[in-house]
Amino acid sequence: VKAPMKVALLALNSPGYQSLALGYLRAYAQADRRLAGRVAFQTLDLTVEADPWWVAWRVLGLEPDVLGVSVTCWNARAVYEVCRIVGQVRPECAIVLGGPEVGAIAEDVLRANAAVHAVVRGEGEATFADVLDTIARGGKAWRVEGVTARRGDDAVSAPDRALIADLDTVPSPYLTGLLAPVDGGSYLETYRGCPHRCAYCFEGKGYGRLRHFSEARVAAEIDAVAGAPGVRSFSFIDPVFNLTPERLRTLSGLLAPHAARGVRLHTIEVDIERIDAEAAVLLAAAGVGSVETGPQTVGHAALEKSRRGFDRERFENGVRALRALGISVECDLIVGLPGDDIFDFLAGLRFVLSLDPGALQSSTLHVLPGTDLWERAAELGLSFDSEPPHEIVATPDIAFREMRRAEVFADSVQRAYRARV
Amino acid sequence: VLDFAEVSLGTGGDVRCGRCHGAADAVTFLDAATLAERIAEAAAGAGAPGPNVALTGPEPFDHPELPLLVAAAARAGVARLRIDTDAAALSNHGNAAGSIAAGVRHVRVTLLGGSSGTHDALRGTPGACHAALAGLRAYTRAAAEQDAAVCATVLVPVCRHNIRDLPAAVAAAGEAGACSVLLRVEDGGADFDAALPWMTAACDTGVVNGVWVELEGVPYCMAPGAPIHLADTHRSRAGMHGPRCAGCPLVSFCAGGPADASADVLASLSAPDGAAALVGRVSLVRGAGA
Repeated sequence: VKAPMKVALLALNSPGYQSLALGYLRAYAQADRRLAGRVAFQTLDLTVEADPWWVAWRVLGLEPDVLGVSVTCWNARAVYEVCRIVGQVRPECAIVLGGPEVGAIAEDVLRANAAVHAVVRGEGEATFADVLDTIARGGKAWRVEGVTARRGDDAVSAPDRALIADLDTVPSPYLTGLLAPVDGGSYLETYRGCPHRCAYCFEGKGYGRLRHFSEARVAAEIDAVAGAPGVRSFSFIDPVFNLTPERLRTLSGLLAPHAARGVRLHTIEVDIERIDAEAAVLLAAAGVGSVETGPQTVGHAALEKSRRGFDRERFENGVRALRALGISVECDLIVGLPGDDIFDFLAGLRFVLSLDPGALQSSTLHVLPGTDLWERAAELGLSFDSEPPHEIVATPDIAFREMRRAEVFADSVQRAYRARV
Repeated sequence: VLDFAEVSLGTGGDVRCGRCHGAADAVTFLDAATLAERIAEAAAGAGAPGPNVALTGPEPFDHPELPLLVAAAARAGVARLRIDTDAAALSNHGNAAGSIAAGVRHVRVTLLGGSSGTHDALRGTPGACHAALAGLRAYTRAAAEQDAAVCATVLVPVCRHNIRDLPAAVAAAGEAGACSVLLRVEDGGADFDAALPWMTAACDTGVVNGVWVELEGVPYCMAPGAPIHLADTHRSRAGMHGPRCAGCPLVSFCAGGPADASADVLASLSAPDGAAALVGRVSLVRGAGA
């Protein structure tokens, strides 16, 4: 009997969180009948703060034949270092990367990281299962749809893979028991895609049209996570939780029994301009304690270049409606959007503070691979770090030194605002 | 950026340059009942985000009923209570931890310089600089231990006697855990031309150490380095008037221009010939207005 191929799945998460992506990959692959009995999985859910050498030590201890790693802009440097060490020690291990950081620049990633064998582009579940099957059979990964892989000294990209039409065919990591819910650190997903097309974001562009999990699947996952022992709060990864009034009513109804027991939702992302008194009541009934929203900027030119809308009055009304029910609203601003000068950014800060929203988050623009801004960077005159996390260096309207000043200023404002009874 | 309604606990006892102002005035405190009323009034009149109230005036830790005042602020619904202090008391007997637990999430510490050689000499109190920085460290350390979000700021009253020490003051404040430093120019006889490089260096010292430096009392026409450091870019323009403004023909424009003009004006200042651009622009505006 041939020993099963050992697959290690690695994620370097924010502290306290677990990787939903790895849960999906493993659940899908384990349900693939081609792989049954031929592949054995181990998941390493670690934190981005971990020393890459220690992470490599953990990986190598599993003696994997395949290492699959989820890569985002904020963990990419650490991931590449881990891959380099693992590749040195165990060159026979096929290292496969996936995630938003690498998909759009797969060939560049392979050229820059000699230890990496293949990159899964776009939605990963079906592609990764095919990659495993191909490797297990001794086939060529570069022939798998949605994969960019090495063929000799070259990096070769197979055609894109179509998105999974029926998301319910992706087994739930929670319902299959692969992911044990963690208090405060678990996420659910009710749909993929985004109704918006913000130029700096990968979400709308990377996943195209909206696809939904069924209501029955969502209900079962909510019960599994919210009802798990010790779970007092969790969140949703959906880009817009209040996608439609009907959907919000449905979710609120599903969550309300758990909210009545004290289970809370934290930092769910909402379209604040579509929140009225009725929507606020539904969110409160769902146990929502805090939401996250824009405006990202209030500058007209930046809004236009970022393909975003902003209705000041509706935004204000949305914040007021939630605050009236005790829901904290984390307002996000981005420093360095094309079209914004330093005074536009300050105007955004003043606007947000005037609403006393409960929380304020300012971050520097990251020009992410695959986004509209990445593709239009030269046209817009954006200077950014080619290395992850791809922070903006300067724009035609904000010079390098001004950008750094704005970052320090925004940080001090955040700290001052957050410091309260 | 955050406005605090100030309630003075009494008179005298200011931490200020002894060479400019002479010996500190004798301290008198108001009674707790009067102050509690004033705190409630200040809280009621404060705008968003808030209400935010600052206890100013003589050293608050010398007030015999400080705990009652902090409790009064809590009763009044104050969201952010700031104590303006010389910080010496913060490192004594659990004062820092106790203050944070009671709801004091903002402190503002006055430093006259970044070293004993400046601060102690100008204040006339040996050991005051060391005590202030130790208090600041105790406060931020206690906040970390309690996992409480706090904001420690440092106020530096700028005068001709401490101009050269401004970068060191910013560095010392940052090392002790301050998140921002306010340089407030109060000296009518200060030589701004000589001060400009030091204020610029102080701003840059702050940026590279992650400490925000804000300038108050610096006229529009003296924006050092970058206009974003000027208090006026995010606060009322009253703070932009310095002693040098007294004889300036442009002062009424600076004080009373349209609300959205400041961005343009400040942007023009960052141009290589900013001052000239400003004069030209003001002439144009006045001409159009007439």
